[in-house]
Amino acid sequence: MPSPASSSDTSSALYAERPEWKDVTPLPQYEDANPIAPIFYSEEYKDATDYFRGIVKTGEKSERVLELTESIIRLNPAHYSAWQYRYETLLAIKAPLDVELKLMDELAVSFLKTYQVWHHRRLLLMLTGNPGPELKFITESLKVDAKNYHTWSYRQWLLAFFNDDDLWAGELDFVDAMLVQDVRNNSAWHHRFFVVFQSGVREGETERGRIVRRELTYVKQNISLVPNNPSAWNYLRGILDFNNLPYSRVEDFVRPYAGTTTDGSTTDLVDLENPPPSTNAQLPCSAAIEFLADIHEKEGGKDRVLQAIALWRSLADEHDTIRKKYWEYRIREALKSVKE
Amino acid sequence: MPDLPPLARAAHAAHCLRCLQALPDSQIEVDASRMALAFYCIGTLDLLCLLQEKTRETDREAWREWIWEQQTSGRYGSGFRPSPFMTPALRAPEDPYTDYDTPHIIMTYTALLTLAILRDDFSRLDRPGLLDFIRACQRDDGSFCTVPGSNETDLRSLYCAFAISHMLDDWSAVNTSRAIAFIASCRSYEGGYGQAPFCEAQGGTTYIAIASLHLVPHVQAPLLTAAERELTIQWLVRNQHPAGGFSGRTGKDADACYCFWCGAALQILGAGDLVDARALAMFLANCQFKYGGLAKAPGEHPDPYHTYLSLAALSMYMPASALASDQRHAASWTFEPLDPLLNARVETARWARKYIPAPPRG
Repeated sequence: MPSPASSSDTSSALYAERPEWKDVTPLPQYEDANPIAPIFYSEEYKDATDYFRGIVKTGEKSERVLELTESIIRLNPAHYSAWQYRYETLLAIKAPLDVELKLMDELAVSFLKTYQVWHHRRLLLMLTGNPGPELKFITESLKVDAKNYHTWSYRQWLLAFFNDDDLWAGELDFVDAMLVQDVRNNSAWHHRFFVVFQSGVREGETERGRIVRRELTYVKQNISLVPNNPSAWNYLRGILDFNNLPYSRVEDFVRPYAGTTTDGSTTDLVDLENPPPSTNAQLPCSAAIEFLADIHEKEGGKDRVLQAIALWRSLADEHDTIRKKYWEYRIREALKSVKE
Repeated sequence: MPDLPPLARAAHAAHCLRCLQALPDSQIEVDASRMALAFYCIGTLDLLCLLQEKTRETDREAWREWIWEQQTSGRYGSGFRPSPFMTPALRAPEDPYTDYDTPHIIMTYTALLTLAILRDDFSRLDRPGLLDFIRACQRDDGSFCTVPGSNETDLRSLYCAFAISHMLDDWSAVNTSRAIAFIASCRSYEGGYGQAPFCEAQGGTTYIAIASLHLVPHVQAPLLTAAERELTIQWLVRNQHPAGGFSGRTGKDADACYCFWCGAALQILGAGDLVDARALAMFLANCQFKYGGLAKAPGEHPDPYHTYLSLAALSMYMPASALASDQRHAASWTFEPLDPLLNARVETARWARKYIPAPPRG
């Protein structure tokens, strides 16, 4: 069976020159005398869109419309009307959706940053109801761009929309593999938070205390390997905030990262709860200073607040000067609370 | 810290004027969003206060005409389409649009702002039709689609619906409580907002969320708790890189457009004074392309989107006030104030609020 996707051999000829399109009246685009920012269309684009307006006018939905809309999409993937008409055509002629998805596998990589490619894919998945193979496709396309916003959003949508235990089963391993590749990939940290905390409690994950401990260990280990990683510090905050745990719970862990030297004497003792920074880590870590100051502030009391102020001072003057005004604001606010 | 180089105001205006004249085929992806491009170009001239000087009244009149020509009505109400990219030559202006040539909510927002920049009197605005259109775009979950019936929905369209309702001074077409619930569902543990529920915090959508929450009138309960507000400020402020620019997500490179998105969100939250404006200006100075326009980062190619948003950021974070007045290039860095909620010069926003609402009856 000829596939509508394999039409590249004929697409070199203009539609106006092809006998099988003779019955369609092309409709040129309306344009008045003084357009704003007119685009010098290529002959190919003008030709295909003229025929497309002609097709829309007659309402034809047929196999050849798939070819025509594909031509337009390849020239301009942001042409949302071509996508919309293509989708309706697929439905009307009951086109094989596996063929369409195969074409989308290719287009998604070519047009990774175009909204429409991903929206079309969602529509198709809602029709097929078969999300299984999608996770592998997403993992593959993240190899092209590991932080692509659309790709990650699509994965989050897919998991939440179908909410199938089999789909969720491999997610932690997947995130872990992504973080092993690049521990600074915030999209992967975000996805981990989504999977573990934001998307509800699944079977096998009902002992929340154990899950929280597991996640704390995970993020601490990762900070210990790469301390200057804001994504991991945000994840640590996220765990504590989401579970209403006091920041002081991780004070012993945070403290060495806010200091200037690693204490060599303790490195023989492996403390799994509080993995220390490696001896070659760049210290102090400004995220840790900030975290420690937040712990002091939240614990409250004059001594604690004064310790927080000293830490903010060091950020403002030395370790994070771009945010000097922010740290000074924190100092002002804290001083108010001490006086009250 | 080194001196700021001059801001090449005339060259940036020239970049946008060139784009208004014509775009090469390589810009084909703009075909379905030309109205937004018009806004960034004409808006740039407005921010630079060069619109009167660099364009003729006949140009401005022609632009107004073109924009009004994109106002279109039909079964989902009235609004503006991005361009006539789906409109056949022989269609009579009074014919209703087809389902493939409907108004677009983002284009409608940018069309209204551009007409305000051009000081249109809005006598041709189909206000009841516009309310119908907004209504047709809202979905059950409170979000809005870009065109009626489309699956393409995220926080951007919600902001546009809010901004249009605000400019109309008429919120009757919006179910605000559902919309606010949708915004809340986009909040991330980091303190920013993603473009849809469960998505990663991002500077652009965080601006959209914060601005939308502050556009809604008559809300009793605070829309953010004190702790949420502090976390959002903290996240936004952390996005400023040591080199001065803002990134859109944790751990990403700085990009000129996020100087606006993050910077404007901070202004709305009353925390604009926490930004290092001098460093921000230095980053944007380095984003200037030598033949005009600003790029997303130093060494990249410019475009009207990054040019407009960079200048909008500078309108809120003027380094001139931090510069000694005798510094050589201080004048080139001076701007009129910007309204961060609508993303327009204060004077333009005032015009929009005055002329877009329905005139009093009688």
